[in-house]
Amino acid sequence: MSELLSRRSLLTAGGAAAALMSLSGCGAVQALRPAAGGKNTLVVHSQFNGAVAGADVFRAVVEQYRTSTGRQVATLSNGSDLPIVFETSVLAGKEADITIVNMVGKTLAWTAEDATIPVENLLAEWGLADRIEPGAIQEWTTGDGHLRAFPYTRTNWPVAFNTRLLEQAGVEVPLTSQDLIEAADALRGKGIGPVTIGGGDWSGQKLFIQIIQSFLTADEAERVFATGVFSESPGALAGIQHFADLRDAGVFVDSAQGFTSDSMLTQYNTGQAAIMSSMSSALAKVPAERAAETTIGGWPVPPGAVSTKPTVIQSFNGMGVWISENGAGKLDLVEPFVRWLFSDEVVSQFITRSGRDMSAVTDVTSTDFPLVAQAQALAAGDTVDPVILPDLLIPEAVFEPLTQATAQAFGPGTGPDQIVDVLEASYKNA
Amino acid sequence: MRFPRISGILAWGYALLLVIPFYYLVISSFKQNDDIFTHPLNLPSTWDPGNYGEAIGSADLVPAVANSVIVTGLALLLTLLLAVPAAFALSRSTGRAGRVVEATFSLGFLIPTFAALFPTFLLAAFTGLFHTRTFLVFLLPATAMPLAVVILTQFMRTIPRELEEAASMDGASTLTILRHVHLPICVPGIATVVLLCFLSFWNEYLYSLIIIGPDPAQRTIQVALPTLQLTTGTDYGVLMAGTVFTLIPVFAVYALTQRQMQRALVSGAVKG
Repeated sequence: MSELLSRRSLLTAGGAAAALMSLSGCGAVQALRPAAGGKNTLVVHSQFNGAVAGADVFRAVVEQYRTSTGRQVATLSNGSDLPIVFETSVLAGKEADITIVNMVGKTLAWTAEDATIPVENLLAEWGLADRIEPGAIQEWTTGDGHLRAFPYTRTNWPVAFNTRLLEQAGVEVPLTSQDLIEAADALRGKGIGPVTIGGGDWSGQKLFIQIIQSFLTADEAERVFATGVFSESPGALAGIQHFADLRDAGVFVDSAQGFTSDSMLTQYNTGQAAIMSSMSSALAKVPAERAAETTIGGWPVPPGAVSTKPTVIQSFNGMGVWISENGAGKLDLVEPFVRWLFSDEVVSQFITRSGRDMSAVTDVTSTDFPLVAQAQALAAGDTVDPVILPDLLIPEAVFEPLTQATAQAFGPGTGPDQIVDVLEASYKNA
Repeated sequence: MRFPRISGILAWGYALLLVIPFYYLVISSFKQNDDIFTHPLNLPSTWDPGNYGEAIGSADLVPAVANSVIVTGLALLLTLLLAVPAAFALSRSTGRAGRVVEATFSLGFLIPTFAALFPTFLLAAFTGLFHTRTFLVFLLPATAMPLAVVILTQFMRTIPRELEEAASMDGASTLTILRHVHLPICVPGIATVVLLCFLSFWNEYLYSLIIIGPDPAQRTIQVALPTLQLTTGTDYGVLMAGTVFTLIPVFAVYALTQRQMQRALVSGAVKG
């Protein structure tokens, strides 16, 4: 009897699978039809998908474009694995016409390897030269003068302070390292975590780099992060010493070296910690109740630093609109779509509905994402010093080892000399 | 008497260890990040299925599950169509050639997944099947044949030759013997192969990512699910909901086949 039942069950399962397959085969399941290619369809491969901020806006604007123009647009998507999928597609000659992806790691080589075309000539021809921030154009231009892609989203990386918790501890928003150490002490006295950070992942790496940049000129910072030679830079050594002093003074939450960016956000959002250094896209995820008691500022100034004001990481290194070799053959389809993406209407939708920071010139701010708007205003003012996001300078192979090295730096008991050793080893061994 | 009691406690403790992660996965799928991190093992305050709607909608999980079912189902069917006759022939073979062929199948275990990736990519591009589900339907059985043939061959060897001879004397052809004598007896072995291959095909990521590509209408669940994970602020409730959603077919197949698989294991123990 049991055998009969099992056989029947297997037949049922097989029948269900076959029914589903036949449904898809005869076209009844519309969603399973492959995206159309061909010369009349624009194929767009993007990272605007899944749970990424702006994914729903991107879907909507593509649909608006389809409806208003009657043109065909096929959308393909990947997350962080987009670069490898795009590269294999290029090898097979089946890459999308446009890809919307970050400029980091693998993508840095695309223009030189002819996987994508340089777009500096198209910039003026398509009327986009005045639509994109000059700083973004500069950051996206290669050493030999080629614009890799049209910069689209950007990154702004201020510090969030919970004023209610600071007030509870009897301190104000810290502007100097001494203020910060005193604030950390007072916060700990009230059982509140001071600076929360994902010491074990990229967020810790970025804060570490931000802190030591207080002691580096822009040129020295570029040299240090490109070469990984920290021990020969007086500024880098002073910055690392200062980082260790802050850590030993208890500025960071306990066990910071074991946390991630997600635990950082949670500690801040639940009021367990009062301060965090955060990307603007993460600031968009701070709940309204916590946002109402948050003020945005920069990282406090250390004594004897090159920076004279609190620092904020600013970068135009977000997603860009790249044109592939296939796309170069369909510029008549690519141009109107790219111009649509940079239109006031679309840029405004990304800002107001998803809280994205954009590289397009705009004066639109979002009321639904007040912390992002505060961060934009801070970056545009003169109360903070911008420091670089060295992702373009750090060799791709070093990224992961460098994160492991900075995780060690967040661990108690790791002296400045040891930190220098592990940082340099991460470059040498990569 | 003490030993059975201690072993019983240990067994229940071990079972609890296996259940806790599943419990954590399910309850987290109804929570927000703050609740997951601050009260990881507490029940959710409300059983709001909103995370499921968010996961299914933003990662296009319905077509992704359908694609996984299509690819896995067809690949399983092809695996059985190829492996069962091969195993039948090898189990009945007494010559040297049979041993060489069987050993050749076993050599398939030695090929690392990564080593085969680039040649496979070239093959897909050459055949014009790059960025299609079809190529994967043909590829996956090739990767599963060593395991399927080895298991089924050993299973079929346990079937007495007298049954086959009696059927032959009644005029049964080779195909009839396979269909009416071997297959009914081999159902536990086939269920074992189906379960193992199903898990392998369903969970396959690398080849699905590269070969099927970025089209949401074609990609499988293992490629769609990671789009819910972000470098800045993953919503773990949504990610857990997506994971639970994609596990449902796995549990369904396991429930259908596990009894036959247990029977296969037990029959092996008795025969041994």
